[in-house]
Amino acid sequence: MGKDNGDNKGNGMTRRDFVKMSTTVAAALGGAAALTLPSRAEAADAQTAPASKKFLVVDQKKCAGCMSCMLACSMAHEGSSNLSTARIQIIDDAFAEFPNDIEIAVCRQCADPACYYACPLKDKALCIDPKTGVRYINKKECIGCRKCIEACHFTPSRISFNLKYKVALKCDMCQDTPFWKQTGKQACVEVCPQNAIKFTSEQPSGHKEYNVNMRGEGWAKLGLPTD
Amino acid sequence: MYLCTGKILRVNLTTRKISTLNTSDYKEWLGGHGLAVALFFDLVKDKSVGAFDPGNTLVIAPSYFSGSLVPAACRTEMVGIQAQSYPYEWFTRTNVGGRFANMCKYAGFDAIVLEGAADKPTWINIVDGDVELIDAANLWGLDTVDTQKVIFKNVIGSAGYGKWHATKKGETIQRPSVLTIGPAGENRSRLGAVMTDAGNAFGQGGFGGVWGSKNLKAISVLGTGSVEVADPSELMQARIWAEKNYGADVDNPKINAWQEFITSHFGGHPNRGWAPFDNQRRASGCTGCHLNCKPRTSSGYGNESICVDALYYQNWDLAKHGKITEITGYAADLAQRLGINSFELHTELAYLKTLYDKGVLGRGKKIDTDIPFDKMGEVEFIQQLLTQVAFRKGIGDDIAEGIPRAAERWGRYKEDTESGIMAAMFWGYPVHYDTRAEVYWGYASIVGARDINCHDFNVPAYWMPSLDIPAKKTPIVTAEQVAKWVGEMPPYYDPEMMNFATSNIYSVHMARTTAWLLHYSTFWKQTCGLCDNAFADFVNPYGPNNRGITPEGELKFFKAVTGRKISFEESLEMGRKMHNLNKAIWTLQGRHRDMEVFPDYVFSVDTEGTSYVPGEPPSYYMPTKENGTWDYRNVVPRHLDKSKFEEWKTRYYELEGWDPKTGWQKEKALKDLGLDKAASELKAKGKLK
Repeated sequence: MGKDNGDNKGNGMTRRDFVKMSTTVAAALGGAAALTLPSRAEAADAQTAPASKKFLVVDQKKCAGCMSCMLACSMAHEGSSNLSTARIQIIDDAFAEFPNDIEIAVCRQCADPACYYACPLKDKALCIDPKTGVRYINKKECIGCRKCIEACHFTPSRISFNLKYKVALKCDMCQDTPFWKQTGKQACVEVCPQNAIKFTSEQPSGHKEYNVNMRGEGWAKLGLPTD
Repeated sequence: MYLCTGKILRVNLTTRKISTLNTSDYKEWLGGHGLAVALFFDLVKDKSVGAFDPGNTLVIAPSYFSGSLVPAACRTEMVGIQAQSYPYEWFTRTNVGGRFANMCKYAGFDAIVLEGAADKPTWINIVDGDVELIDAANLWGLDTVDTQKVIFKNVIGSAGYGKWHATKKGETIQRPSVLTIGPAGENRSRLGAVMTDAGNAFGQGGFGGVWGSKNLKAISVLGTGSVEVADPSELMQARIWAEKNYGADVDNPKINAWQEFITSHFGGHPNRGWAPFDNQRRASGCTGCHLNCKPRTSSGYGNESICVDALYYQNWDLAKHGKITEITGYAADLAQRLGINSFELHTELAYLKTLYDKGVLGRGKKIDTDIPFDKMGEVEFIQQLLTQVAFRKGIGDDIAEGIPRAAERWGRYKEDTESGIMAAMFWGYPVHYDTRAEVYWGYASIVGARDINCHDFNVPAYWMPSLDIPAKKTPIVTAEQVAKWVGEMPPYYDPEMMNFATSNIYSVHMARTTAWLLHYSTFWKQTCGLCDNAFADFVNPYGPNNRGITPEGELKFFKAVTGRKISFEESLEMGRKMHNLNKAIWTLQGRHRDMEVFPDYVFSVDTEGTSYVPGEPPSYYMPTKENGTWDYRNVVPRHLDKSKFEEWKTRYYELEGWDPKTGWQKEKALKDLGLDKAASELKAKGKLK
């Protein structure tokens, strides 16, 4: 599979045409077009997203900041390692004190997926897999409006943006890795040399359950902290 | 071209002209050292210039594999005329990890050529292909950490770190990667390092001082791009295969005594020897690494400093306080902040202390100094010493020239290299692994241009037996097995390369050990960029039958990223070609066989080895074959024989195809390697046989 630049909408209309048309309509309505979309809160009230059955949990203290997960994620999805298109992000400050020197910024596959609710092309662009519940972006449909990025509960947003192709990029639990032949595995989990990222099918609850302690006796043998 | 952006940045600091070259014109040289030495050779017409001459050109080249998922490959090479070596300023190489290599490629460049010298302090800002020379008046005088913080703010603005920041080509939450010098470099110290992040350094070579001479304070790169590889899926599989079959299992580590000291193999794990004063630490790593050998501490002291950087002050701290304290970490940081190469200090602090104890150096003494040597081990001592070195105050002005030149100023060079109290061993660099025992290390250094710092054979040849045997442990691989594995390596297929018995250390076998080390390292580590802390990998407790990943891993990665299936022999031949281009430059600088000599003490004073186990005598266990039997045997006390070393040089030159009388290259041999330009330049200078 080659790289998809997201231009072809599959209905003869390019993404550029779509955005252009939307802008024209909005202008004609004197800005009222924005009101045609529900607010996040209204959307959350109006519907309940089916739960995901796939999650990543991480150990922030075990992470080495090597960014191997980012290199693997972007390569598996986009075909080349790229810090900007990785769906997982490492925030690393070499001058800071442990444990405040590193943060793993990973999508939580939220039970309350603000990104999904915010998407104007919900279920076409930002979708929920009917089998697994994974929240993912269909790049062919994404119009690059950034609403999902802005809606994300976290800072930095767990959704990145490909400026060249004007599409949002989001963790899909490696359900679609055109550049990595595999089934059912996650690139970041497989590549992380510290075993600091793990897959779980159990919905974590809250910050503590997404950020777990994976450091056991072996880690202690290395003289590294387990508390 | 896979792994390449296609552009080489060329900056003339004198004229402020910014231009580019096409990487495709240097396709055969790949990246890293190969690309850097080829560019240097072509662009520097007068290779005999001094280190601080504006005509000295530096080439910074991210490794060929960098930017990809190949593990332990985010390394950057820099070449140029060095300031550190003594008595000659040889062309040489230096290398750094961290984030720079990947970020440089993501920012659009396969290499950066620095020519001339700026007329005022300057830094270079590179963002997604845009290049700007900026006045560094506000940075000059700042230490390396503060410099980076100012540049971070300048480049990514108040939106700051950890939030998405847009360039013209993409968005990123990453900080730029910044190379910078500290006050030591600004003051043209020959101990000046070029730093990035907290503890990554272009340490050896004194290139910090060279940057200072060019008024170059820093280079910042920020990029949102990438480089292509031939087969992403194959690379993913290769990476996972390597980690699962040869990488350390951090949740169930195999702890051997030698792993406590050294991580120079693919199965190395986060080392607990660095920053031992803090039990709340992180193991951190360079971009894409699987080893993650660098500590981050709860105080921030000693962040990212490993090996000698981390422990150069440790024994003095221990002696003073009875334990290793945070002062060890403070000292590590201070050297990194001031941009001082602490490797030379590590060895030569003992030399300075010896002079102090002899009553030669101290307050009111012949070498007059107010540095409080009675407080070695305390903050006060190291603070005063390093500050004086960085700012060239008092005897710091002498030491900033490097210890050999300082000794010369003090009128002590001859006496102290005869006795060996000053442990300069190869081109003025301090002893690392002792030539008198681990001979190939010194041989490769002296036929090269610096402390060779290639640990390829170092685990089986030294650390494993020298730590296990005195501790009454049996090494996991026998000496005979090590020799057999090394003996399977092309092009020599010679197990005797691992025989360090005195009867063998001047033989053609040891010439092969040296040549193999140089050719392997030049290609796989300095050009492709595989970290010396992981490759070559012969003995690995995680590998099948304790065997390391070499050569299968290297070849697998090369195939995945380039699509080209090469043999290991071909790779070593490419390394030989690159090494020959280095050699041509040294010859053009004036190198002759007669210059390649060790100081007198190497030939007259025994090395005793080291005692790592309390109560055990010093020793140096290495693989040897005696009376037809392989074993690990103690090879010390030992010193080298001068005339036999000269015989070894003849064997080495002949093995490389060089003229044994002069050490110069031969026209046909160079042309056979495709180095016609080097041959004609040498010929024009009358330095070709």
